[in-house]
Amino acid sequence: MRQTKVFLNEDEIPRQWYNIMADMPTPMSPPLHPGTGQPLKPEDMAPIFPMNLIEQEMSAERWIDIPEEVLEKYMLWRPSPLYRAYNLEKLLDAPVRIYYKNEGVSPAGSHKPNTAVAQAYYNKAFGIKKISTETGAGQWGSALSMACNMFGLECRVFMVRVSYDQKPYRRMMMETWGGKCFPSPSNITETGRKVLADHPDSPGSLGMAISEAIEDAVGKEDSRYSLGSVLNHVLLHQTIIGLEAQKQLEKIGEYPDVVIGCAGGGSNFAGIALPFARDKIHGKEVSIVAAEPTSCPTLTKAPFGYDFGDLAMTTPLLAMYSLGHDFVPAPIHAGGLRYHGMAPIVSHLVKEGLVEARSYHQLETFEAGIQWARSEAFIPAPETNHAIAAVIQEARRAKEEGKEKVILFNWSGHGLVDLASYDAYLSGKLTDYQLPDEEIERAKKTIGQFPKP
Amino acid sequence: MNRFDHLVLRCPRLGGEVTFAYCRREQGDLPCRMTLRCWQDLIPVEEHLRECLSDDEWDSCFHTPPKDKMTTILEIADAVKKRKNM
Repeated sequence: MRQTKVFLNEDEIPRQWYNIMADMPTPMSPPLHPGTGQPLKPEDMAPIFPMNLIEQEMSAERWIDIPEEVLEKYMLWRPSPLYRAYNLEKLLDAPVRIYYKNEGVSPAGSHKPNTAVAQAYYNKAFGIKKISTETGAGQWGSALSMACNMFGLECRVFMVRVSYDQKPYRRMMMETWGGKCFPSPSNITETGRKVLADHPDSPGSLGMAISEAIEDAVGKEDSRYSLGSVLNHVLLHQTIIGLEAQKQLEKIGEYPDVVIGCAGGGSNFAGIALPFARDKIHGKEVSIVAAEPTSCPTLTKAPFGYDFGDLAMTTPLLAMYSLGHDFVPAPIHAGGLRYHGMAPIVSHLVKEGLVEARSYHQLETFEAGIQWARSEAFIPAPETNHAIAAVIQEARRAKEEGKEKVILFNWSGHGLVDLASYDAYLSGKLTDYQLPDEEIERAKKTIGQFPKP
Repeated sequence: MNRFDHLVLRCPRLGGEVTFAYCRREQGDLPCRMTLRCWQDLIPVEEHLRECLSDDEWDSCFHTPPKDKMTTILEIADAVKKRKNM
């Protein structure tokens, strides 16, 4: 019988996290203190994070031991299985072998507990009793609530109100694990009270929720703030994913040609990718792809024609469905992994050419997620769908090129708490745009002067 | 009521569906910095927002380089410390 899953025994779990800062081919610019303009010092971060995590944030040590207490908690779901996606392979009919790490097996249903458990442990070890954080739809808030409960800490989560009202299930998960979840803006903090006074019906925002969480933590001896993505120590904790995958692939004599992860803040991408980026830095041939969300041309609405890829009309004409090169302002073209929410480590790897960033439109990602659910059965988190879209694209390329490829990706979480998103997609709420006729006419006029494909 | 307010998109930052009404007021009276990027190929968002925003508002929203996460965190923490006389 063919083997669908590759397991590691519990005693085979990696006992160290990998820190890519030790292997960066060029140094990263040090973060500067916004007040002084000088490189950050550990004491600058001390009111916000516990010192043991600050040390990890600034560490250049290649390997960092995973404490026994953290490993014990990891064992509830780790090592996570490595799957081979035979059914998707068959559906795609391409010369590829597709492997994925199933991070949806964690109690919170995503990769987030890999760092939540570690952060809760280090806070506890430093003598902290309460952790405050913010959350969007609740994936991070629920993971941290679970982790805090494991170590007997109080967890206080400021959840953006629009999500708090629309997405009750993750809030319920937080509360089930003992976390306290407040809609942001709240009346708990001065920041929240001020917003509510001016805008009582404010739907909140991530920026507002961050401000509330930090205000809630700073200035109290027994409280600290926690972030679930972007920062170096968060990415470090996630490397257990890729380190396990390396061992699992080795067991079956495989090595990936392509490693793929979806990149929002960068932590699940980094989790699968950084150990392979290390191999690449040391000469191994492997492509590493960060799949990020974007809004790209809507194929069904825009006219198909040749157009420039830039406003200056300096790039070669490209045949594409286009609303015209003048439709968007230049800074938008420069987006792609460079917005402020992306982890500096991932941005640096892209800049160094070690990681390729690719963008996928949300409709394409949901289509990929549906294909996955109807072949491999597990329903992916909408974020995970970006990685699946990249896998499908890679498989199609392999078919076109007639080239065998081994693809590894991070199936970062299940979508069982995100079914409202699938409902929005399946019911056409995400697609039912009526671009005004004058816009289409304007686009046709713009590209009308260029040759037809 | 804005003519695009009812349209729905999945917000890559929040991880859930939001309406255009949310995006255009995500920063209080200003739109989210990602509004152009998220909506650019679905509606004439640039033209629309240029009609709604002053030049200064446009610049502060879309032409001011965004801060990285650590800077944002430290600035908020410093403001809190000042307010609490720490």
